[in-house]
Amino acid sequence: MSVSLQSEMIDVAAEYTELVGDRPGAAVATFTGYVRDHSDQQAVAELELEHYPEMALKVLEDLGQLAAERFELSNWRIVHRFGPLAVWETIVWVGAVADHRGEAISACELMMDTLKTDAPFWKREQGPAGEHWVASRDSDMARRARWQSGEAQ
Amino acid sequence: MASGSVSITIKLFSALREALGESEFELAISDISEASEQVDVAAIKALLSQRGAVWKVALNQPNLVHALNHKVVFTDAMVSEGDELAFFPPMTGG
Repeated sequence: MSVSLQSEMIDVAAEYTELVGDRPGAAVATFTGYVRDHSDQQAVAELELEHYPEMALKVLEDLGQLAAERFELSNWRIVHRFGPLAVWETIVWVGAVADHRGEAISACELMMDTLKTDAPFWKREQGPAGEHWVASRDSDMARRARWQSGEAQ
Repeated sequence: MASGSVSITIKLFSALREALGESEFELAISDISEASEQVDVAAIKALLSQRGAVWKVALNQPNLVHALNHKVVFTDAMVSEGDELAFFPPMTGG
């Protein structure tokens, strides 16, 4: 039940082993996000991820707690990178352990949908047309809103 | 509120930090706290907007996010001595 903000690559195998530990639940779900080689606007060569460390830690810890209470998780973990990231590197990893698959999968979805709009990170893309800050997406806001309206459970 | 030493920390991130050329600074709020009993985020924005047109435009973007002591707030949130107030564009993590 913890958060890591880190500049180094995410060791997904080690994170999984640590998440499950010596008290495996019946259901384990994880999500891994990678840096894409393209965006809506251009090919992407590199990504720079700025963050607000103190707030990011607080927001993600609160989010993990929220998911744990809502889906009765026995364990959860959120890992988010910052700094320069190359294409196809890992950028985010979340994991949830629960009694049933529905809860574990939904917990990962809640954590991802919420962190994209609520955790203070900002992507800056570099490509052939130069550098620019990535704009927030309405589709991300819509996915976030589903959890508040009760549409997603 | 005592005058002379009342200040808060302002932090700026992402495109806002770039546009304004600053990432963190202390802001004395003694002047506005003397003028009115309470100081909210809107008053801080008004004070900073006096720094010039670039500041005024940047701090009055409709989608600007304000975080007081690491929590997103509306502009009517009250600000006190020692608080940390951050301004930034919508977040794009994950």
